[in-house]
This record gives sequence, structure tokens and C-alpha cells, in this order.
Amino acid sequence: MSDPTATQDLIKGADDPAASPVTVRDSQRSLWRDTWDILKRRKIFWVSLVMLIVFLVMAAFPSLFTHKDPEYATLAKSMELPSSEAWFGYDLQGRDVWARTIYGARTSIIVGVLATLATVLLGGLTGVLAAYFGRWLDAIISRIGEMFLGLPYVLGAIIILGTVAPAQSNPGKAMIMAVVIIVLALLGWPILMRIARSAVIQAKHQDYVQAARALGAGPMRIIFRHLLPNSLAPILVYATITIGSFIGAEATLSLLGIGLRSPVISWGIAIADHKDYLRTGPHAMFFPAGFLSLCVLTFVMLGEAVRDALDPKLR
Amino acid sequence: MGRYAIRRLLQLVPVVLGTTFIINYMVWQLPGDPFAGRCGQRPCPDSYVTAMREQFGLDQPLLVQYWNFLKNLLTGNLGTDFNGVSVASQLGDAWPITIRLALMAVAFEAIIGIGAGVLSGLKRGGFIDNVVTLSTLFLLSLPIFVTAYLLQWVLGVQLHVIEPTVTDAATVPELIVPALVLASLNMAFTARLTRTSIVENLRSDYVRTAVAKGLSNRRVVGIHLLRNSLIPVLTFLGTEVGSLMSGAIITEGIFNIHGIGGLLWRAINGQDYTIVVPVATLLVLVYLISNLLVDLLYGVLDPRIRYE
Repeated sequence: MSDPTATQDLIKGADDPAASPVTVRDSQRSLWRDTWDILKRRKIFWVSLVMLIVFLVMAAFPSLFTHKDPEYATLAKSMELPSSEAWFGYDLQGRDVWARTIYGARTSIIVGVLATLATVLLGGLTGVLAAYFGRWLDAIISRIGEMFLGLPYVLGAIIILGTVAPAQSNPGKAMIMAVVIIVLALLGWPILMRIARSAVIQAKHQDYVQAARALGAGPMRIIFRHLLPNSLAPILVYATITIGSFIGAEATLSLLGIGLRSPVISWGIAIADHKDYLRTGPHAMFFPAGFLSLCVLTFVMLGEAVRDALDPKLR
Repeated sequence: MGRYAIRRLLQLVPVVLGTTFIINYMVWQLPGDPFAGRCGQRPCPDSYVTAMREQFGLDQPLLVQYWNFLKNLLTGNLGTDFNGVSVASQLGDAWPITIRLALMAVAFEAIIGIGAGVLSGLKRGGFIDNVVTLSTLFLLSLPIFVTAYLLQWVLGVQLHVIEPTVTDAATVPELIVPALVLASLNMAFTARLTRTSIVENLRSDYVRTAVAKGLSNRRVVGIHLLRNSLIPVLTFLGTEVGSLMSGAIITEGIFNIHGIGGLLWRAINGQDYTIVVPVATLLVLVYLISNLLVDLLYGVLDPRIRYE
């Protein structure tokens, strides 16, 4: 079936109520199908999608964009301004800013995506559990969430990272990335827990859940087959925007000297390394900052496009 | 209302205890030596570490330490930092500056954010609406420190409109740009929230009634529409006061403002946890109390909300 219209679906559905599951899925106008129909008409969606693909390719194959080695330093060229030879100029150590900016994409995107993934898993799981089982479990999870919410983001990250990985220390590359991801997830899960919790509470009393329970479905089956798929939309929207804000948060922490640090290549570190040379060489700081902002913008735009498409109020 | 307030206040107690416990636990108990780097390039001698651990009570069990911390906090005894300077006096010097900065930021958020939101909400899809939507999108994707460095560079270094850093006095004109930076993110949220709220309420029955009664446009918008649309915006502004305080860490650090955030920034860089813990605790208290006040205010502003 190529692209059936709504009327055809209705007729088909009426003709053949006992159709096989495959046919039913095809002829249904699901939420995702509707969303896609709206999304593909939005310019902002296509713009952000193209930007996203560019950033993802940049993260996966940085050598497509530059032949230079981001680690290769020529001190004689320290802080040289942009030229035809090096589009973004050279940084304090005489390294090519363009190459370092391209290679920085990978770290920033990995941290943003993994931290969001951890947040979604942790927050989604606790939220679903709290909403489904309710009572004391809900009370405990909600209170713990409030305690972490009571800790403003930057402050919480500073406290944890300042202790685990203080400014002067130098843990390994993978270690520090893991710590930053864990910290971001640890401070971000309560919001997602609330979103998942309220979505599940709304869905919990729907007829289809009652029906599933009456048919003898266990909690696992109800949660994974019925509640989760129907609560996915708000989680998805929040997660997309969160990737962007986590990328910004990673850079903020790196700027404070407690996030990622050399030899990791990231936009945040490039900004932190050159923040004291604003007068002599702003290019070494503002090019990575520009890419960082563009990348955050990509995820924010994508998240907004998806939210507009999923939000029935605006239709 | 009274009973609700008391219940909310009681609910606040475990959250405050939990959050302060998390802060204490993380700062003092997580792996990592709180006294590392206090003796220059070489590691600290054991006798020094033992003496310091004793002085700051780290040799006692965790719960005893936490109990002492609470007792000191309630009696207003914040102790001294690693250099022997009273933490309370440092806080006393820093508070007024941060409060000034935060108030100015809230004022910018309210005036610019609400103004832009109302203008774009009233003419949905118009030119101003598109401009506001685009510029808020832009603001939302600029991390706060990028905005800060950008303005510092353009206005301070290139155009010489402002001094790139703020003097010790931190007067109101000096704080205008830092306050704008601090407000930028929330300004965008405020504008969007106001816009959504206005758009929703424009379709409501009471607005239609007011128009049908023949009231002037100004009266419909100013009295009927605005009052109802601004309730969620006020809530947002209130709850964000707390996060504004932590955003001040970045802004104050960049513009060299000697407020609470700057104090914390320097304490972190110098790894002086005796300042980090009380300052963080105070910021958390401000955050939680402002949230509570907003919740209570909600019922006063919107009589439709019943607490019991």
C-alpha cells in the first residue's frame, strides 16, 4: 500500500474488521504517521535535519572535512589569524583551529547523546515504576527526584565534578568523559522522571490498559507493550532538546575547568583554553563557540519541530 | 490556604535535609582528597592532613559531621575557610552584589520577555511574531558563556562601550550588560511562554465577551487578557530565580563580579570546600524557598486554583 488516504482507511477498516495484524498496522493512521505527515511539510524540520546530518558525518568521519592533524602543533604559528592556508587560523599552541573544531564535534555529540540516553533510561524507568506502582514507591522516587531538582544544574555539577575530578587533576580520556556523562545524567533524570510519570499516570487509566489487565497481562507486559509506547512522544521531544542542552552543559563544565580536559578535543575545551586571550586572538575561541551554538541550535530546532508535530493543540 | 502553606513548608523539610546531605556527602566523602593541592607542588605531610581532618571534623562518622553542619548552619556559624577568613563575612560582602545583579536580570526578563511575548502573541504569524520566534530560538541555542564572551568582546574590546570587567563597587550601570547576559536564556523562555499563554487566552470566552461588550481594544488586552495570561509567566519567573543564582556563577566569573557566584567560582578553582558547602547550601535554600513562595502566590493570583 503506497499512501492511503484517511477515507480509504476507514472504508477498509469497516470492510474487513478481522484483517491480519500486518494489514491493520498498514491501514492505521498512527500517531507517528500523522507526525511524519506534518513534519515533512515543515521547513524548520528539513533545515535542522540537514544540519544534523552534517554534524553526524563530521563526528563520524572528521577526515572528510580536513586533512590536517588536530594534534599537530607549530608554536611559531601561535594565535595566527585566519588565512587562506588555515581558514580559522591557529590556536595558542599553533594548532589548526578548523581541524580542531571539526574533530571536536565527535566528543561533544558523543557526550550529549550518551548523557541523554542515560537520562532517558534512568528517568524513564523510575518515572514508569513510580507511576505504575504508585503508593510508597512513588513517594520515595518523587522525593529523591525533588532533592536532585533542588540542586541547580551548574551548582550540582560543580559540586560533584569539583570533588571527583578537581580542576588540576588529570584522569584519563575515557574516564573523564564517563564521569561527565554520569554527572549530567544524575542531575537531569528527575525532569524526565516527572515527564514519564505524568504520561504514564494519564495512560494508566485508559480502557486499553484496563482491558490488558483484565486479560491477565502482567506488569512487565503492560508497561512495555502498552504504557511505554503510548508515553513515548513527550519523552522523545524532551530528549531531543536535552541533547542540545547537554552539549552546552558539557562546554560550560569544560569552561569551568572541571569537565573534559586535554588531551580530549572538544569545543568546550577550545573555548576554555582561549578564554583569556580574547583581545589577541578571539578567532581561537569564537569559531568553536560558533560550531557549538550551531550544534545546540540543530537539536533545539529538531526538538521543536517534533514537538509542534506531536502537539495536537496546534493542529 | 493556611493549612496548605504549612503542609508545603513541612514537605520542604525532608527536601532541604536531603539536598544539604547530598551536598555534604559529595563534597567531603566522595573519593578525592579535599586537602590535595594545599601544600604546593609536593603532597601534603600526613601530620598536616590529620590535623586538618580533625579541625574540620572529617575524622568523625558521616552522620555526626552532618549533624554538626546543620547545628552550625542554624546558629549562623558558617566557620572559616582554609585561609582562616570567616565565611560569613565573605558572604556578607558578596550577597548585595548578587542580589542587585539578580534583580536587574529579573527586571530585564520581565520587561523584554513579556513585552516581546505580548507583541508576538497578539499578532500571531505576523512579522513581529516571526522575528521574536527566530530570535528566541537563537538565544535558546547560545550557551550563556558564549553570550557573555561575545558581548564582552564586541562591546568591551571592540567598541569600548563598556569596560570588559566590572569594578569592585559593581554599580548598576556596570551591571547592565552582565544582567542582560544572565537574563538572556530566561528572557527567551519568558517571551515564548507569554506568547503561548496570550494565544490560548485570545480564543477564550471571556475575551470574546469583553470584545462583544464593546470594550476598547486597550481595555480588553490590558485588563482582561494580560492579567490572566501572565499567571504562568510569573510562576516561571519566580521558580527561575533560584537557577538564576547558579547561572550567576558563570556570568560573575566571566565579568569578574565579586558576588556569590564569583565567590563560588574562585572557591572551586582554589578547591576551598569550606566555602563551597555553605554557599551551595544557601543557593539551594534560596531556590527552594522561591519555589515555595511562587506556589503559594499562585493561589492568590488565580482564584480558580483551590488547595484543598
